[in-house]
Amino acid sequence: MDPLIFGFLLSDGLINGALYALVALALVLVFAVTRAILIPLGEWVLFAPLTQAMLLEGKLPGTVWLSAGLLLIWAGLDRRRGRTPLWLFLAALGVVGVGFLGRSVPALAFLAALLVVLPIGPASFRIFFEPLPGASVLVYLILAVGLHFVFQGLGLAFFGPEQFRLPALWPGEAALAGLPVPRQGILLILAAAVLMVLLYLFFRRSLYGKALRAAAVNRIGARLAGISVREAGRVAFLLATGIGALAGLLVAPLSNASYEMGFLLGLKGFVAAIVAGLVSYPLAVAGGVLVGVLESFSSFFASAYKEAIVFALLLPVLAWRSVSSRVLEEEE
Amino acid sequence: MRKGLVWLGAFVLATALAQAEVRVGVTLSATGPAASLGIPEKNTLLLIEAGKLDRMPKGVTVRFFILDDGTDPTAAVKNTKKLIQENRVHLIIGGTTSPNSLAMIDAVAEAGVPFISLAAAKAIVAPVDEKRYWVFKTPQTDELMSQAVVQDMVARGYKTVAYLGFNTAYGEGWAREFEKAAKAAGLEVVASERYSPKDTSVTGQVLKILSRRPDAVLIGAAGTPAVLPQRTLVEKGYKGQIYQTHGVANPAFLKVGGEFVENTLLPAGPILVAAQLPDAFPSKRVALTYIAAYEAAHGVGSYSTFGGHAYDAWLIARDAIERALQKADPGDLAAFRKALRDAIEGTRGVVGTHGVFNLSPTDHLGLKFEEAAVIVRVKDGKWELERSFR
Amino acid sequence: MTAVLLLLLLVLPWIVPPFYQTLFVFYAIATLVVLGLHLLTGLAGLTSFGQAAFMGVAGYTSALLALRLGVSPWLGLLAGLLATLVFALVLGLLTVRLKGHYLPLATIAWQVALYIVMGSWVALTGGRTGLSDLPPVAVFGFELRDPRAYHYLAWGLLLLYALGLYRLIHSRHGRMIRALKGDAVAAASFGARPPSLRLWTFVLAALGAGLAGWLYAHFVRFVNPSPFSLEASIFYLIMAVVGGVGSFAGAFLGAGLLTGLEQWLKDLVPLVLGKSGNYEVIAYGLILVAILHLAPRGLWPWIEARLPRRVPDPPEGEGLPARAEPVEEEILLEVEGICKSFGGLLAVNRLSFSVRRGEILGLIGPNGAGKSTTFHLIAGVLRPDRGRVRFRGQEITGRFPFETVRMGLVRTFQHPHLFPEMTVLENAMLGTYPRTRAPMLASMLGLDRTEERRAAVEAFRALERVGLAEKAFLKAGALSLGEQRKLEVARALAADPVLLLLDEPAAGLRAGEKRALAALIRRLRDEGITVLLVDHDMELVMRLVDRVVVMHYGEKIAEGPPEAVQRDPAVREAYLGGVT
Repeated sequence: MDPLIFGFLLSDGLINGALYALVALALVLVFAVTRAILIPLGEWVLFAPLTQAMLLEGKLPGTVWLSAGLLLIWAGLDRRRGRTPLWLFLAALGVVGVGFLGRSVPALAFLAALLVVLPIGPASFRIFFEPLPGASVLVYLILAVGLHFVFQGLGLAFFGPEQFRLPALWPGEAALAGLPVPRQGILLILAAAVLMVLLYLFFRRSLYGKALRAAAVNRIGARLAGISVREAGRVAFLLATGIGALAGLLVAPLSNASYEMGFLLGLKGFVAAIVAGLVSYPLAVAGGVLVGVLESFSSFFASAYKEAIVFALLLPVLAWRSVSSRVLEEEE
Repeated sequence: MRKGLVWLGAFVLATALAQAEVRVGVTLSATGPAASLGIPEKNTLLLIEAGKLDRMPKGVTVRFFILDDGTDPTAAVKNTKKLIQENRVHLIIGGTTSPNSLAMIDAVAEAGVPFISLAAAKAIVAPVDEKRYWVFKTPQTDELMSQAVVQDMVARGYKTVAYLGFNTAYGEGWAREFEKAAKAAGLEVVASERYSPKDTSVTGQVLKILSRRPDAVLIGAAGTPAVLPQRTLVEKGYKGQIYQTHGVANPAFLKVGGEFVENTLLPAGPILVAAQLPDAFPSKRVALTYIAAYEAAHGVGSYSTFGGHAYDAWLIARDAIERALQKADPGDLAAFRKALRDAIEGTRGVVGTHGVFNLSPTDHLGLKFEEAAVIVRVKDGKWELERSFR
Repeated sequence: MTAVLLLLLLVLPWIVPPFYQTLFVFYAIATLVVLGLHLLTGLAGLTSFGQAAFMGVAGYTSALLALRLGVSPWLGLLAGLLATLVFALVLGLLTVRLKGHYLPLATIAWQVALYIVMGSWVALTGGRTGLSDLPPVAVFGFELRDPRAYHYLAWGLLLLYALGLYRLIHSRHGRMIRALKGDAVAAASFGARPPSLRLWTFVLAALGAGLAGWLYAHFVRFVNPSPFSLEASIFYLIMAVVGGVGSFAGAFLGAGLLTGLEQWLKDLVPLVLGKSGNYEVIAYGLILVAILHLAPRGLWPWIEARLPRRVPDPPEGEGLPARAEPVEEEILLEVEGICKSFGGLLAVNRLSFSVRRGEILGLIGPNGAGKSTTFHLIAGVLRPDRGRVRFRGQEITGRFPFETVRMGLVRTFQHPHLFPEMTVLENAMLGTYPRTRAPMLASMLGLDRTEERRAAVEAFRALERVGLAEKAFLKAGALSLGEQRKLEVARALAADPVLLLLDEPAAGLRAGEKRALAALIRRLRDEGITVLLVDHDMELVMRLVDRVVVMHYGEKIAEGPPEAVQRDPAVREAYLGGVT
């Protein structure tokens, strides 16, 4: 094989792998804290660039009202909790304000899109997941599938069926070892690496991170560490939405974005997350890169069977991981 | 018991009074992967229902029942059965994609309901057998469109071509018909690759194609997902001619494609460049009327060729309903369905947005190649008529 | 009730409008898949995202045979089921041994791979455009083209499958499958072979899906990959969870409700929200979320909890035949110099002792003395590094519990390993598994009735022996800790033990409960059962046992009658030292 083609395929695989890795990081984060497999994350990943695209066109996207609306419902649910509803109400106002600001100042559209999408995650946790504490993994999964339908339907209603094109944050190509690589792709890889390290440190070193992890395993222990299971869930969803939205904003200039890309993206991120046993951040990144590179090479050799090859090659990896890891039997 | 009789009487009376109603069932892919095709089709039919596009047939009211099948053949079959059995429709229009239309054939043939499909595959109406007796369609077949592409490629002196298409029924139909037509015309197909409309990268496929150095590449895709392969080809330095299919003929493709899709060639129904057609082109006037009405409702530049197929189906249906009314009474469900089928098959000289429809017992599409296909070039972000086969 | 429902099903196609006849066929098809999921996911605990792929295997097999070779759909059914069986065996072997989340992901992996192959192998399968013009199923020359006629075919096959599955679930195999989900160790302790039981569960669920795929293909008479996609598999999983994945009736409820919901939304949503939007999927998702909030365990359990419960009569009649050959060995269990270390830490060091027929032997020692490890070494959960264990003269070192239980070596668990969703009687009946032998097929065909009745009688007697008979039909989850311990013993008794291994039976019990337990154990000894009791409750052990073995730091420090051992200075040192 031509070394140039090999290099191109490898760099393409790494860029896609970084995207899957980011999604996998978010999924691992949510699962570790709440035991929910966050399927609608795929939709939220796309909501961010689509929101940005609409803002750049001078339109106010439906996500602004969705985000504000979810915050208001949250405020309604927490109406008896002191000042909380007031803050939530202000946050909803803030989201609308940010939307209008992003519409009128194109330079701020990127940031505005991130801020608009961010509350959707924690608000969804509060409204849909919190009322069902301690449900089984399967019930959470089906709940997540239901939300995936809702958000995908909303995506079509807000953005229509077509793709949007977005300007690169860092345009042009850089030469790496004689190989032209899009700078935007390098950004994506850097983001995945940095976030992996940060998450790893956050959960291993910081007290708050340890308490978050504890919340999934042991409710009382978490409370002793000063964090409630509810709060842990919201924080996990917030971080996951942020990582996902950032991934979406970074990848969209490379490949365009449409509302229906989310599910497949989420699925591949999920695959990477499972390869990591749904617990380890470095392994999640490794899993993402594995899926990305496998995909890139199989799309060169047999594009019609690309997914079949990727998933079939996963089976031995799964068998090996299953044998070598000390995962306990699922309690449900 | 007596109460039941009264109700029965009322029902019979109501049926008798409502006999001047023709019911048209529609099932479209307004969501799911084919939504960019199904939505303009649905919009067009909603415009017709609202009376903003065309008049109603004389002497009857027409009622529409419009359902979404989410681009799922099973749902399309369920919808079809629901429309036939529950809404007791006289005619079915729809089946946005080829699998959906193919799946619906059995259901309509079984019940004896005429069906005008909006999908591309030739197998939907050919050969006209016992079942396809009931099935008609308005879009050009992928075979017909492939002919247009191949003729253009040959005329430009290309020798080697590559194909990169969707891994859906749309891309598959094009792969089959295009490769057949290309071989027949002496072109060598050096690569045939697939990708998913939801893919975020097609670098692998594009590298493979580049390594075979074809004179031209045909991208068999629909809507904006067709941009990514073209963009990747351009970014990776491909200098040959890039062809798209009529599936991209919507404004979003131009907007998202931008400079990457400049100078693309594609086959399309003449409606796409209606204003540039010579006045003698038969479908020009109808197409312009349709475009004006559609743009009035959905904005300038919003029309697509797919809505045109739905409009053509309606034009055939309206014409046929008027003739069928002389043969049978809509109150008699089976008789009117049969009469309507016969009337559709007897369609002569109905001018639509994509050409003139002349149907016959052996041809349930009825378009002439010369009138139904043109080659269009993307120039300065606009569609420009490149070649007409007339 | 059942008769009324069956009659209704029989006349249904003649009283509902034609479209509902069609829906009912799709309902039957979905229920076949969902019933399989009930068995696989609800009872065996294996979440599958791949059932639609099995539908595709059978559907495509029959379609291809019919179109390419002109084979009758009935032969196509056989071939389709055979193909499903082969695929399920191969994929099952790859899949069911996987742990945790690897298993569901593996199902996703082959689901996606098979789907792509169905769509991309154009020459064989017709690709994504699909295969049309499949022949209808014919019965004695009569073609089932009409949904009314197909109704009887689809529901007939569904009821056959459902009946077989229902019988299986309520047989020795079904109880063991349910046990396996909660606790593979406990299941294996009563004679189940977890991997093969899982594999056959997997195959049975796949066959239901295969049947559904065949019905689908010849009803729609068109196949393409999309009804066999991952999305379709997820839909079936949704149906299962909404109905209640752990309940049999829930499969019917979930499949019916969601088949209907999809259609009703198509009528309702455009009326409410206007024709131009496409909001059905949003409404669908929101309703799904609402149902889960109302009934997280599914709708059927939610309804069932509001229905009056019928208490069945206690089983009567003859029990299972007792052990054929009398126990004649004087020494039942011999432990000879066994050693076990964990990562360099020696937990058990050259331990030897024996258990004589008819005695109660206590194995005691302070915390960390190696009692539990010894227990696990004898029970076959762990394998000793060195040394031998003999039971009734045969070497059983490192043999699996599902083998030794058949020889009469039966254990209980320190933390009760019971199955809260099963009734007390069903829990006890698990103990009869090694004493019964009806194979799966016999259970599905209902040929195991006599054996089942005898097993129930046997288990009920065991409950009477421990004083739990009046709670036989309650769910085991409703028992107190003391009662759970008794149930542990009853389940062991139902296995007709020669030697009963009791693992800390008194831990966490109140004084009164302890006294009752001691009385029970003594009574069992008087009935001829030999008992090996592991505990650290000095007082209980000393009052109860005939002989005692004391362990400290993995070694035996004393052996003999309780009074003698209690005076032993080494024992006193070990216990007093352990306290401070």
